[in-house]
Amino acid sequence: MLRLFHAIVMGLIGAGIVHLVILFLLPNYSVRDAWTQVSSVADYYETVRLRGDNSTTSALPHPADPFIDAAACRFNLEDGMLSVRGQGDIPFWTLAIYDERGLNTFSISDRVSSGPLLDAVVLTPIQMQRLKADEANEGDQSLYLETSVIEGFVLVRAFVPDETWQPKVSAFLDSLQCEALESQ
Amino acid sequence: MIYRAFLVVLFLVIAIGGGAWSVWLVLEQAPPFGKLTSGPWEAFPVAGTPNADPYSRARHVRSGGLALGPSEGIVLTAHTDSSNGALSRNCTYRIEGSTPPARLWTLYVADAQGNALPGSKQKRSATHSQMAVLENNNRFSIAVSSHPLPGNWVAVEGDGRMQIVLTLYDTPLAAASQLSEISLPTITQAGCDA
Repeated sequence: MLRLFHAIVMGLIGAGIVHLVILFLLPNYSVRDAWTQVSSVADYYETVRLRGDNSTTSALPHPADPFIDAAACRFNLEDGMLSVRGQGDIPFWTLAIYDERGLNTFSISDRVSSGPLLDAVVLTPIQMQRLKADEANEGDQSLYLETSVIEGFVLVRAFVPDETWQPKVSAFLDSLQCEALESQ
Repeated sequence: MIYRAFLVVLFLVIAIGGGAWSVWLVLEQAPPFGKLTSGPWEAFPVAGTPNADPYSRARHVRSGGLALGPSEGIVLTAHTDSSNGALSRNCTYRIEGSTPPARLWTLYVADAQGNALPGSKQKRSATHSQMAVLENNNRFSIAVSSHPLPGNWVAVEGDGRMQIVLTLYDTPLAAASQLSEISLPTITQAGCDA
């Protein structure tokens, strides 16, 4: 009897451990997360629209808000700093950095940028240090976004006030260019 | 010997089965943690960010959504009206209040799963801050109804439950730890179809 009781208690303790192991491993093995889904259709540094009539992208995660259109590109900062550029005079955009589990780790809105140009550089703290040491970069107007995410994707959301704005917003999102900059 | 084997099997069934079942129970059945509420509105500002608790994180990763970051905005969802009645597509609702502290807001009607409703042929089931006409003192009034109404009208079609989603973009609210200090719009039921 005592051994039965012992087995049940050990079972419950084991259940607690299994519970925690599954909970913390789940995000790493999920196939439904945004990162895995974006990875399935787009290579690194390839801009992919997350809304639109294109049938290959309709299964992708997209912003739930009907007035928001978006585009994303994957990056790996081990290849060097990521440059994100887009051009177009649109009412509102935001930029977010998602990690390889699909979690939003950093975001900005167009308030921080001046003019109709989106020009951001995503980089690690170490790359930032190196950049600061190099005086040749002074006067650069790019936004420098420091992140601890090595591998992830950048998502740019754009506000579409009504259908007449759609071509302009589409042009902005299609103009989005992601590329790895050679680290000095 | 058989008894001993039975005890080992019992241990494994409780540990693996119980562990897996309890995770499933919390992620699929239990209400999510970290909810902020104000009247009928609820928000999960840290969900989908690394600051979320492990349960919210696992839940978010499984759902594959794209959460808004604190600098982008905050999503407020209402499943009920201000007097706690469930929102039905057969009823007319009036959403009234002062303009929320945000550079931009959008409002759309979604089904129970959170998918935005397409609206009718003439009208979308959604509006936003640049489309809605404001009254005096920066107040607004939006009607959500299946019947055309003057003023700001958000069209719904069909029947069944619905939710109203108000998204505030570029707002100081997204970094707030409480919603109660800000006056969010009220949702009042104004009659239902028989």
